[in-house]
Amino acid sequence: MATTATVHAHAAPQGFIRKYIFSLDHKIIGLQYYFLALVAVFVGMFLSLLMRIHLIWPTAVLPLVGEIKPETYLSLLTMHGTIMVFFVLTTAPQSGFGNYFLPIQIGAPDMAFPVLNMLSFWTTFLAFVAMIAAFFVSGGAPLHGWTGYAPLSALPSAGPGEQLGADLWVISIAIFCVASLMGALNFITTLLDLRAKGMTLFRLPLTCWAWFVTAILALLAFGVLLSAGILLLLDRNLGTSFYVPLVVVNGTVMGHKGGSPLLWQHLFWFFGHPEVYIAILPGMGVASQVLSTFARKPIFGYKAMVYAIMAIGLLGFTVWGHHMFMSGMSPYSAFAFSIMTMAIGVPSAIKTFNWLGTLHKARIRFHSPMLFAIGFVSLFVSGGLSGPFLAQPVLDIPLHDTYFVVGHFHLIMGVAAIFGIFAATYYWFPKMFGRMMNESLGRIHFWVTLVGTYAIFMPMHYLGMAGHPRRYSQLTELAYLHDLIPVQQFMTYAAFITIGFQFVFVFNLFWSMFKGPKASDNPWEATTLEWTTATPPPHDNFGGHTPVVNHGPYEYSVPGAPRDYVMQTDPVTATAH
Amino acid sequence: MDAIQVALASRVAAQHRHHGKGQFFWVWAALLLMTAIEVYLAYQNMQPIRMLSILMGLSLIKAGLIIAYFMHMKFEVSRMKWLTMSSLVACLALMCIFFPDAFRILTLGTK
Amino acid sequence: MSEAVAHPQALAETYEPSLFGTYSKKIGMWLFLLSDSLTFGALLYAYTYGRISTPNWPTPFHSESIRNATLMTAFLLTSSLTMVLAVRASVFGNAKTQRWWLFATMACGTAFVVLHGREWSNLIAEGLTLPVFPTVPHHTASAEFSNVAQTVPQFPATFFGLTGMHMLHVTLGVIYLGIIALRRTFIPILLGLWLIAWLATPAYSPFHYGAHVLLAAAVVCGVIVWLKPKVYDSSDVEVAGLYWHFVDLVWMFIFPLVYLMSTRII
Repeated sequence: MATTATVHAHAAPQGFIRKYIFSLDHKIIGLQYYFLALVAVFVGMFLSLLMRIHLIWPTAVLPLVGEIKPETYLSLLTMHGTIMVFFVLTTAPQSGFGNYFLPIQIGAPDMAFPVLNMLSFWTTFLAFVAMIAAFFVSGGAPLHGWTGYAPLSALPSAGPGEQLGADLWVISIAIFCVASLMGALNFITTLLDLRAKGMTLFRLPLTCWAWFVTAILALLAFGVLLSAGILLLLDRNLGTSFYVPLVVVNGTVMGHKGGSPLLWQHLFWFFGHPEVYIAILPGMGVASQVLSTFARKPIFGYKAMVYAIMAIGLLGFTVWGHHMFMSGMSPYSAFAFSIMTMAIGVPSAIKTFNWLGTLHKARIRFHSPMLFAIGFVSLFVSGGLSGPFLAQPVLDIPLHDTYFVVGHFHLIMGVAAIFGIFAATYYWFPKMFGRMMNESLGRIHFWVTLVGTYAIFMPMHYLGMAGHPRRYSQLTELAYLHDLIPVQQFMTYAAFITIGFQFVFVFNLFWSMFKGPKASDNPWEATTLEWTTATPPPHDNFGGHTPVVNHGPYEYSVPGAPRDYVMQTDPVTATAH
Repeated sequence: MDAIQVALASRVAAQHRHHGKGQFFWVWAALLLMTAIEVYLAYQNMQPIRMLSILMGLSLIKAGLIIAYFMHMKFEVSRMKWLTMSSLVACLALMCIFFPDAFRILTLGTK
Repeated sequence: MSEAVAHPQALAETYEPSLFGTYSKKIGMWLFLLSDSLTFGALLYAYTYGRISTPNWPTPFHSESIRNATLMTAFLLTSSLTMVLAVRASVFGNAKTQRWWLFATMACGTAFVVLHGREWSNLIAEGLTLPVFPTVPHHTASAEFSNVAQTVPQFPATFFGLTGMHMLHVTLGVIYLGIIALRRTFIPILLGLWLIAWLATPAYSPFHYGAHVLLAAAVVCGVIVWLKPKVYDSSDVEVAGLYWHFVDLVWMFIFPLVYLMSTRII
């Protein structure tokens, strides 16, 4: 019994490789995830820029890429979606910031399974390499969209990218499933087992709640995607017909029969809808944390926020069918899915009103993390309001294959989650790197990004209502599409400007990392445990002792307290009540 | 930190030592018996749906026995018991919504 | 550390008690099993989906197949029994008894895989096969099984998909137990098994290529043993046991669904 390996007692590693590459320290692993996502987000943005360029200048010959053919457009679309969803929106907020701050916020020295944590990152990295490799194999990247709908994804002869590229895509997704599974069970176990004394469940910061529920979603959802991917690989390579009915491709009868494309859609979206919440829930947690800190007020309705997170997680599993109203599924199921989808509006509204309640009559400190958190709430509302439209089959059927859906999910899942990542970056940067980010550059970055993303994605709703189909690479064939080209041009210009200003952020990030003014241990005067330790935190987070928690996470403007905030570790006597 | 893990593990081990060996043999015998019943049933001529219900019922009992005794779940704290089992059962039950579509394929005649 | 065991109360002062009341490794394994049961659950739902949507599902399994599968089930159930006995020996500190029960478990698991492999080879030879599996030379497939594979490709697809995935889990389970029982000594044994499995199977057999799973597992085990060299204690045996029982549990669903529901009634 006494021979159990002492994982948590691992000494601070000395060599560069053990310290920064194959590190067991959750903080380094969190940063590795963060920088992986940073690389991925620029790849994804570059692809989206190529798409936007192609839409308004279809014959342009670009350096490096050449002329974009319609099938290349589909490849760009597929890879943009996949990279953004898996390697940015899943990786940065959950695996990146969650890895770094979940153990610190609960007072733990590390994750429960440090080796598993390291393996999880390197497996994710392997998945990313496999995904990027799909660009460079013969035939290029796959065409089937990030949703990989069969039979297109199941037939290697269906298009140029559907050969080796699609195999790599499926393999990459399967590896990613395994990596996420390792990460998720690590998060859950850590939160269940390693909370410092006094850190009861209702004293957890809302970020921890969000990461915890997200991890549960990932644990239960990625297993299903894994089996869907395995069956897809069998269909592609062993000639089985799980997803492929009798089909004819270019006049050739394929050897498959009896499969059902709907099965893929069910299995995929059983994962896919929880995935949407995997992307957005950590953003909600960060927004709550930041809003409360900079409004100098306790979060409005803490327990309601916790129950709302749980309700969103729970309901998130019951609504996947709303992605399939167009698929010819049973109208009775569609009815049930529609009702459940509308029901998600309730906990989402609870969260929104509680954020607004937190801001109400507050003396707000408008620092850049706060700006991005408010931007998150704004985008969450504007993206979320189009949700109830799409939740109803009668409205979804005309809108589903149009730009309306593109606008909807980019606002709520894409940009809102990215704003969560930005808020987290500006908020935790001092803790992670020991220096402050430049405030003016942060504000410029915020305003351009906020206005820019609205300028890109808001017009998409109108395009959709005008009947503009999504995934079309040519806009010149039909008269009514031709009339909409000015709107597309406006969106492309807005995309150029917005993407250009992201380099301001990257400059700010790296410049501040080395040249920014030194940060104190608690520059934002915040209350949670990460602000009680040194900046940046030592190897075991709290320098050899374990904090004792006496207070809830958001005790700001406490009457009778010596300061306007009470840290979680302050002695009980710090407050009058 | 590690010491807590060791303490928990030794507490679990003490709990294991507390249980008799006999229950495992009973569970094993019951599992074998139910398998025999299943094989016997497979040779009875009955409606597939009825056979499926009986076989799945028996399988669920077998799974329950394995989880409760072999996997020790019966002796875990109730919070662990309920949270893990309910989330699993809920997710699996949700997937039953696949089936109306499978039946529709037959009636719609698209194959 | 022995002091810590003596005074768990003092330690409990630094951390909140575990919400699940047990050590982390066990919680981690349970969470993995939850996810894995959804993976298998999804496969079984896919199978049922295909079966519902396919009219005239064939019922081709003769009594030899059923007898073989029943024997496999008995082996797997018995291996679960020997596994709990191994856990029991380990909590009493009988390292030797524990090792022998682990060996018994691995033997039952290996018997399962071998019987199953024989079953696969027979079915493939008889014509119940996937399009990519090469035909067995010097052997005429039976019209009955070839007909099933031709008319209802869903049948061999689901059969090989489900049982193959399960066979992979059993194989990995045997390797897991081997590492727990013998630690790094097991890796050369595993490499030997890989060579035997690779060389002893004919080139047309799917197991000729499937044997490389053993090689991949040996590499992964090597990395893990190198990263975390340690003596495995009773908690490791218990956690390995959880995985093993889970593999048994999954078979409790695959056996009736895949075999018994497709029995040829005489």
